[in-house]
Amino acid sequence: MFRIFCFSLLLGALISGCKKELSLDEPGALVPKTVDKDPSLPSIPVAGTQFHAETFGNPNDPIIVVLHGGPGSDYRYLLNCKAFADEGYFVVFYDQRGSGLSKRHNKSDYKIDIMENDLDAVIDYYRKSPDQKVFLLGHSWGAMLATAYINAHPEKIAGAILGEPGGFIWQDVQDYVGRAQDFKLLGETLNNATYLDQFITGHADDHAILDYKFNLWAASDDATDSPIGNEGPLPFWRGGAMVNRTMFELADQEGFDWVSNLHNFTTKVLFVYSANNKAYGEAHARKVSSAYPNVQLFKTEDAGHDMFSFPRGWQHFFPTGLQYFNALK
Amino acid sequence: MKRILLATITLVGISAAAFSQTINWRSFDANQKQVIGIETGWNYGLVFGASYGRRLPAHLPVLVNVHYSFPSGKNLLDDFKIKGGLQIEVWRARGFSATLKANGIFRRFENPYARFVNFGSAFSAVAGYYRPKWFVAGVAGFDKAIATHIRHGAAYLDNVPGAQDGWYVPTGGNFNFGMQAGISGRKTEVFLDLGRVVTQDFKTTPFIPFYANLGVNRRF
Repeated sequence: MFRIFCFSLLLGALISGCKKELSLDEPGALVPKTVDKDPSLPSIPVAGTQFHAETFGNPNDPIIVVLHGGPGSDYRYLLNCKAFADEGYFVVFYDQRGSGLSKRHNKSDYKIDIMENDLDAVIDYYRKSPDQKVFLLGHSWGAMLATAYINAHPEKIAGAILGEPGGFIWQDVQDYVGRAQDFKLLGETLNNATYLDQFITGHADDHAILDYKFNLWAASDDATDSPIGNEGPLPFWRGGAMVNRTMFELADQEGFDWVSNLHNFTTKVLFVYSANNKAYGEAHARKVSSAYPNVQLFKTEDAGHDMFSFPRGWQHFFPTGLQYFNALK
Repeated sequence: MKRILLATITLVGISAAAFSQTINWRSFDANQKQVIGIETGWNYGLVFGASYGRRLPAHLPVLVNVHYSFPSGKNLLDDFKIKGGLQIEVWRARGFSATLKANGIFRRFENPYARFVNFGSAFSAVAGYYRPKWFVAGVAGFDKAIATHIRHGAAYLDNVPGAQDGWYVPTGGNFNFGMQAGISGRKTEVFLDLGRVVTQDFKTTPFIPFYANLGVNRRF
């Protein structure tokens, strides 16, 4: 027993000799500070909140608003889209409410249609005149949000590129997410997503802790047994765990249907899917895109779900994307 | 830092002395002092484990034990959990029995973004009806992650350059509530442990909010 005690003292002394103990919720310790905590970050005050936002190009050119996925991811993984600024477009990036480096919000602040209202406010913030055309480029959840907005305001949008939206009705999203998260029971990916729960837990309002775990779960996206077929890990700033969880809960409780008015949007939509995402595929792309009356389907070769983020997918997609926007410019 | 020191002394002390095997006190005969076991199931991952326990000569029935488990995956050595502790039958009346368990925990987890090493503790109470050939009981417990050392890998630091490595104190805790039951033979026992896990705030849950373990013990 004496030996055990001595060993314990020695181990304790070794640990205590290290740096001072840290706290999980210390701002900036595990996830970056958001715009309301770090004034050096570019931001815009709209819709009663503060969005982390950046723009590229001439503000008088046609606008392309880039919409990231998640909900809760950030626009860092879509920064390739800056390339449209060199082609005569004003490219707007913003981290959606509660996502990335934008200000955090509590669970009660989220509603199904709040992201749509935020997008409307962001467009109003940047649009110089009623004649300035506005295009949307949405990826995954961002493509769903783009569709929700077009369904509500078809007259405001001059065209849209949609990259693998899960669906425009809740059932289609559930089907896709079920396939995308079909990890092997004996695989490392499932373990990586679940084993951490005994090391770190956060209260319902411990944003930094929940966001940190959300960031760590992102490691599963490029795992070898993930069906979504990405080339590697996506770059990110901060995953918004609260907005992600709440939006899924709200969708599950209330459902949504963003196709009821799409027949009024007769402009051609460029609907992009990837060759390597086994959970998506041409069949799902055709099913989801059929809600639009005028669709150009484009298969991005040599890419997975995040086809706009990695070099091979981007190089394959960009000429077609640019051609699409130029035709509607 | 004092908290880490105290926690470490307490936990290592318990660990070195001791596990939380699922056992049937009534199935031990006078000559059976030791028990070994294997188990598999879901416990924050699909896990496989092995355990060893030894009865101590004491006024109350006491079992000290150690337990090692690891989750499935491509890398079998990067994640594991070692528990050590003791369980004491504190009350017995006819076939009814109550047992308290205390365990120290040392566990490790690594994914492409970070490595976690944690000292924790687990306390639980088990109460039920025990017969020599079977038992059924209810369980309530708490698993506290007291001190966790986090070391971020280059992949995470590329995304979050300001992320800080070091000891984080405390880092979480989960309650578990469930049932356990088993069938006991002369030397062998088969048991099933299952229940629900909730985070210490009682409002959130782990990604998979339940546990289920199926195991076999051998007494000798």
